[in-house]
Amino acid sequence: MKYVILIHANPDPWGHPTSIYSEEGRALPPEQHEEMDRQFEALLTEISASGEFVTAEALADPVSATLYGWTARGHLATEGPYAEAKEHLAGFFIIDCASRERAEEIAAQFAQPGGVVELRPVMWPGGDDQ
Amino acid sequence: MTTVGLEQVWRECAPDVLAALVRGYGDFDAAEDAMQEALLAAARQWPTDGLPENPKGWLITVASRRLVDQWRSEQARAGREQLVARRTPAEELLAPAADVAAVGERDDSLTLLLLCCHPALTRPSQVALTLRAVAGLSTGQIARAFLVPEATMAQRISRAKSRLQQVGARFGVPAAEQMSDRVVAAAHVLYLVFTEGHASTTGAGLYDVLLADEAIRLTRRLQECLPQSGEVAGLLSLMLLTDARRAARVRRDGSLVPLAEQDRTLWDQPRIREGVCLVERALPTGPVGPFQLQAAIAAVHAEASRAEDTDWAQIEALYRMLLDLAPSPVITLNHAVAVAMVDGPTAGLDRLGPLLQDPQMRRHHRLHAVRGHLLEMDGRAEEARASFAIAAGLATSIPEQRYLNMKAAPRDPVRPAVPIPEHSRDQGPAQS
Repeated sequence: MKYVILIHANPDPWGHPTSIYSEEGRALPPEQHEEMDRQFEALLTEISASGEFVTAEALADPVSATLYGWTARGHLATEGPYAEAKEHLAGFFIIDCASRERAEEIAAQFAQPGGVVELRPVMWPGGDDQ
Repeated sequence: MTTVGLEQVWRECAPDVLAALVRGYGDFDAAEDAMQEALLAAARQWPTDGLPENPKGWLITVASRRLVDQWRSEQARAGREQLVARRTPAEELLAPAADVAAVGERDDSLTLLLLCCHPALTRPSQVALTLRAVAGLSTGQIARAFLVPEATMAQRISRAKSRLQQVGARFGVPAAEQMSDRVVAAAHVLYLVFTEGHASTTGAGLYDVLLADEAIRLTRRLQECLPQSGEVAGLLSLMLLTDARRAARVRRDGSLVPLAEQDRTLWDQPRIREGVCLVERALPTGPVGPFQLQAAIAAVHAEASRAEDTDWAQIEALYRMLLDLAPSPVITLNHAVAVAMVDGPTAGLDRLGPLLQDPQMRRHHRLHAVRGHLLEMDGRAEEARASFAIAAGLATSIPEQRYLNMKAAPRDPVRPAVPIPEHSRDQGPAQS
């Protein structure tokens, strides 16, 4: 079962990892950041070795986005960012797990200062007949 | 000879060749590399020289030579002379006589399967390695079948192999006390391959390999090795009986047909006969296991030529046995359906009560879909629609969600208003 882990964050300035560019992150001592980095590295090593890690990308600053609206006469392009939201999509991970519980266990470890982590199941084209 | 012909011979031989190499030389990775080189050599030579009399022997000999050459050059560098001396010569890996060979080869491919299902590996890794090593599929084929990028699958397989090396897993028949656990693990891996294949048949046209066919092929082999295992026979029977419905379970527009609405004349009768026969033979012989019971349930469904002829009392009894043997919320849910069919929807709904409190189960779309159907049976249309709406929100299968949305819509149209175009099926979310 595939899940996507969406990292919503508000780094200022925009940068990765977003945890060091957020207000909450800046308030933490460097040792705590190092400890969080270590834990995160360990998590990535674990889910790579187990075959659960599928792919991940970090996204560029929302101001670099181009937005396309649809109209009956054709598309309409405007410059980003997408929404005047406090947080933006900063990156995502796709994982492939045996169960929802396992996906939740992994996603919880992505929680970081200055952001919200969202776990969503990925839809698939198959299905069962019972 | 054609590429297709070559691939067929290759797929037939691959597990035995790999098994023989791993048995003789121990190193999974090196054995696989050597096997790939032997295939390349075959692809060059066979089309011009013709198919060798014993393709398997030919491949083992060529691959062994590559392995020995490789070790010689490593040994020359490292001066580890004793290493090669301990290796088995290629001739010894080739079985001496045809009648003896049959048994030895079967044991080898069983051992290879059990190695791939080693407890040190996670389920996804066991599945990937089994399809690579035992089924002889390419990494690309496995990746496409599971809708993950090829690089991800390649990494999953190579990590699984190095994990086996790390824990010192040896090629050999597991000790007697571990044997039954390992066979159970292998059965679960094969069942997972099958359900993944069976459940994704709506997109079957996209794949060059049908996982359900692979799972059946490998389970047949396993059953030939272990004819006395009731659970392996039960597993094969369950797969055959489920797969017999393949032609009836998807409409031309890609939408799913629930079991009760399937055109049963499309069911594959020879598959059904084989499946029924297997489970009927297995049930009386030994301890009854979950696969045998699930196969028996599938057999009862298969034997009803109309949905309304289904012997629900027997299915209810079988689910009750299954609940005793391997209790799980999913079995409770299936049992509730059978109870509803025997004693009426209210009796079934009563059984769902505890599941609605279960923190995992209440986020599972099937619980609410079943509840919707039972409420509908009970004439509570409004509540049924509300349940179907919850189920639709939780569903992760696109065709199932479409079906549930239709059931949740007011005044319940019989079919979706907009037919689903063929091409919409290939928009699998993880394919990008």
